[in-house]
Parts: sequence; structure tokens; C-alpha cells
Amino acid sequence: MSDYITFALPKGRIMQDSMELFARIGITCPEMNGDSRKLVFENPDTKFRFMAVRATDVPTYVEYGCADLGVVGKDTLLEQGKDLYEPLDLKFGFCRMVVAEPGVLLRDEDPASWSNIRVATKYPNITERYFAERGVQVELIKLYGSIELAPLVGLAERIVDLVSTGATMRENGLVEVETIAEITSRLIINRASLKTKHQRITRIIQDLERVLAEDVAND
Amino acid sequence: MNRHVIIPDAPLPRGVKDFLPNKAAKIEYLKQSLKDVFHRWAFRPIIPPSLEYLEVLERGLGEGLRDRTFRFDDRQNGKLVAFSPDITPQVARIVATRMKNAPLPIRLCYNGKVLRHTEQQAGKDREIIQAGVELIGLQGPEADAEMIAMAIECLQSLGATEFTVDIGQVEFFHGIMDDLNLPGPQALAVQQAIARKDSSGLADLLSELSLEDHKYAEIMALPRLFGGREVLERAAQIVANDRSRRALENLRQILAVLETYGVEEHVTFDLGELRGLGYHTGVTFQGFLTGMGSAVCSGGRYDSLTERYGMPAPATGFAFNLLNLLTSLDRDLERTVVQSIDALILQNGPDKRSAQRLARTLRSQGYACARDIIERSLQDSLDYGRKMHFRYVMVVEDPTDNVRLIRLADNAEQMISLQAVLAGELRL
Repeated sequence: MSDYITFALPKGRIMQDSMELFARIGITCPEMNGDSRKLVFENPDTKFRFMAVRATDVPTYVEYGCADLGVVGKDTLLEQGKDLYEPLDLKFGFCRMVVAEPGVLLRDEDPASWSNIRVATKYPNITERYFAERGVQVELIKLYGSIELAPLVGLAERIVDLVSTGATMRENGLVEVETIAEITSRLIINRASLKTKHQRITRIIQDLERVLAEDVAND
Repeated sequence: MNRHVIIPDAPLPRGVKDFLPNKAAKIEYLKQSLKDVFHRWAFRPIIPPSLEYLEVLERGLGEGLRDRTFRFDDRQNGKLVAFSPDITPQVARIVATRMKNAPLPIRLCYNGKVLRHTEQQAGKDREIIQAGVELIGLQGPEADAEMIAMAIECLQSLGATEFTVDIGQVEFFHGIMDDLNLPGPQALAVQQAIARKDSSGLADLLSELSLEDHKYAEIMALPRLFGGREVLERAAQIVANDRSRRALENLRQILAVLETYGVEEHVTFDLGELRGLGYHTGVTFQGFLTGMGSAVCSGGRYDSLTERYGMPAPATGFAFNLLNLLTSLDRDLERTVVQSIDALILQNGPDKRSAQRLARTLRSQGYACARDIIERSLQDSLDYGRKMHFRYVMVVEDPTDNVRLIRLADNAEQMISLQAVLAGELRL
């Protein structure tokens, strides 16, 4: 068991991006290419294992050591605040964490004058911390999806959410008022794994760092 | 007997557990094994109280644990009292106040339970069982090496094979940060980025400052200075300041002692490891087992702790978290620890005196045995014996006074006379 290096990857687009990046440093998993409902894939020749999990669960699998490494958005890391190493910005999965509100509202009032507001979000911890630093009291409404709906039906005046192109927000009459953070995908590592498997993991970090630096140079 | 009764409503608070015989036996075994190692290194046990005045306890607690202390009113005098979240400050207090005239060095060990608040998440332990040692009155690297070598010996004595003790040095970090003069919040942000090994986040933070190139290189190296002993050489090429170089020299001296003890293959280094920064003043270390997400032991040097209780003295020590050890070694311990009990003794008929005499004789010989006492069929007694991990069932047969000895592992039977057993001729 323990001679394997295990990755926890979020199902979907980020998993594809991750595997494309890993392929460039020789980490592959042919088993994954087959159409499969499997959740765990192995490459027995190179001793790598890959688990497909929900994005928000990636830090949990890594924190408990079920996976040695993981790929996850900085938004999830900021929200969960788990005790993990995050040595690399993988430079994909770009988006922004923003505060948005209906355009009408923005015309009528200045964000600098906020003292007490109601905010709907999937990210209650980030939201609370952000507004606390600004000295604004918030009433948080935790939602699990379609955050843009909240201001339209009067559930909250404002939202905190991720945007990549901003199209969904525009279509729903929302405008971005403030950017909380720039988000990208990060490589995360379990603390014990980094120590007990430091040779293989250091190698992975160094190889990825080299490949990412090449990309920057080519840009 | 009807077992399908409604489960009574008797819940436990979150984060505490009942340990049933199987798990309890493993915990006792861990405690005993560690205690044996502590004894071989000449550490003597002490037992601190579970309650202390908050105000006294807090003097010795780092920032992180202060917020996690369980506290309440003492009805006898209205003061705030607390359950200790860590035993080290208690030992520091005891040494500084009650043993200040004892000759140095003082070697003490302990084991006990501590309570800590955790973030609101089901399943995280709030009650932690610790076993550890404190070595008070010694300054040199050999004392720190003794702690690390002991921690390794502890892990070996528990049968762990794949593990590492990861060594850090907070002075190395302080040396790099010293002449930066960052304001508090910024220094904290830099420290947190280093602790997460977040190079890109760190680079962002540093880009706002205009640092000299060599200073920038020193800080940016911190998240990557982990690995085998080659880390010490890499670090030496990067840092120029005296404080960091002294820290490296200290680590080299410790490593030399560990080589003499023959345990250097089990250590790794991490100069960007900043856990316990508030408390430690030199070398720090943590023990990790493969497959276990968090550390099973942690320790280091704390030269300013006993001073807070009135007796300045250098000190170093470590503690194991027994529940983390249990989680990672659970399956391996199954073989070593599950205590089988030697014999279940029964006798048919109203007169039980032969069975009682038999039990008494076996116990005096050092065997663990129990009387069945309940009147039931032999088959039921055998089932019971198997479920409860007995090795043998012994039936005293009336009126012949022969003993039927049934080995539960394979149902092998033999007959022996009661007289022979009472005369001590039976070996189980």
C-alpha cells in the first residue's frame, strides 16, 4: 500500500487539466482513459494512484492522509483553512472571488459606506473574514448553488461567489463591486506524506515547478 | 434475554470516547511500552493534577492552546480553574516551584489525559492521552539528541517500521526574519505562507517589500528546505546571518550524536517547519508514521518556560499522542495486545467448591481465570468463552473430580485429575 503515491483530484475539468500537466512530467494513468465509473485508478508500473472526489472533499482526503497529494482551488483552501502544505500554484482553473450586487443598488450607494449588510454565499468563512477585516457586519446566508438568484428574489442584497468570465452575473443584472481574491488551482500535500515520502514528492514538486516555469517563459 | 431493548438515551459530548476492553488493552500496552523506554533512559514518573488555576496555567501555554482550554468557576473561591490542555507547562511549574533545589539535570516522565477545544467538527478528539518526558537543566545539543533518539526508540519499541522524525530549528527562521523589521500582520502573513510551504503566496507578499536579493533568496528558500540531511548543506549555502548559521551548527551537532546512537536513518529535516513557534526556542521535532495524516509525537527545546514560574532553566522534551498512535498502529497491535484470558472454570451440580479451589490454584500460579457462575449448558459456556477470548474451558466433573480441559482454538480435549491440577502439575 504505502509504496504508492496517491492523488485526490476533483472530478471534471480540473482533473483533466491536472492529468495533462502530470503527463508532462511522466505521471500517467492509462486506466483512466477507459470509460469507467470507477473512483480509483492505478498505474501499477509507476506506483501512482488517483482518486476522483468532489472538489470540496479533496482537502479532507489529503488532510487525513488517504491521499498524499491533491489538486484543489484556492477558494476551497481559503474556505476550509485545513492544516496542509500547498507548495505550488498550478496556474490553471483561473477565476476570481468577488462581491457582487444588482446594478441598481450600486448606483444608489457607495460600498465604502456599508456597515451592516446581508450576503448570500457558498463561502461563509471567506465572506465573514473579508468583511470583518473591513469592519462591516454581515448577516450570512449559506447557499449551495445558484447564488446569483439570491439578490433577484430579495434573499440577500449581495453575494460573494466565484466568477470566471462574468457572463452569468451579467445576465442576471449583477455587477462586481470588489475582488476578494484571485483563485487558481493548487497542489496540496499531506504533512506526514511530505516527510515520510520526501524523495518522491520532492521530485514531483521540482518537476512541476520546472514545467510551470517553462510555461511562464513561453508566455 | 431480550437484547432488542430500546437504546437508553445516554449520549457523550463530542470529541470524547469510551474505550472498550480491546482498545483499552492497546492503549495500556502503548503506555507501558513508552514507560519502559522512558525508564531505560532514567526518567522518573510524576503525576500532575488535572485541575489548575487558569491564571497559573496560562503563564505556560502558547497562544494556540490558550484559546483551547476548558475553563470554569471554582465554587470554593470564585477563581477560574482549567483542565490542562498540555502537561509540559504543568511539569515546568512543578519543577520551578517544588523541585527548585533538586540537582540538575532533572529527568521526568508522565502520562495522562488532557482536554482541548477543537473546531466544531464531529469526530475530532477533545480528550487526548499524552505520554512524554521533560529533560530540565541541560543546554547542549546532546540533550536534544537524547530526546530525538528516545522518540525513535519509542517508535521502534512499538513495532513501527516506516516512520520519520522530522527535525526543525526555529532559530534558523528567526535569524532570517530578524533584520526585516516587518510590521506584525505582515510578519504573520509571511510566517503563515512559509508554514503552508506556499511559495507563490510568499512571493506575492514579498513583492510588496523591496528586499535585497540575498534576503529575498533566504526567505524564498524556506518553503523548500526539507528532506534528508543534504538540507543542512543546501541551507548553509543560502544563509549568511549568524543566528541562522548557529542554528545549522546546532543541528549538525545533534545529527552527530544521533549517528553515534545509530538512528540517523530515521530523521529528516525541515527548516520551514514553524509549528510551536510561540513555545519553542531551538530545535523542534515531530514523529510521523506512514499513512497517518498527523504527527504521533512532537517536541523540542523550550528554554524560557520554567522561567515563567520563577526558575530560569534550559529544557527540552517531547510527548506522544496515544490516540494518534492507536489509530495508526491499531491493526499491528491486534496480534501483540489482544489479551486472551487463560481459563473459564465451571462445575456441574450444586457444590462448586472444587471449581473454586481450582480457580484459586491457577490464579496463584499466575494464570488469568474466571468462574462461569451462571448455570447453563456446556455449549453456552463454550460460546461465551470463545466470544470473550478465553483460551480454555475447564469443567470439573462430579463426582469423579476429574477436570475436562477443552482448548477453544481447536476443541481438543483432555482429562486430568483435579488433584494433579491442585498440585500444580498443569501447564496451560
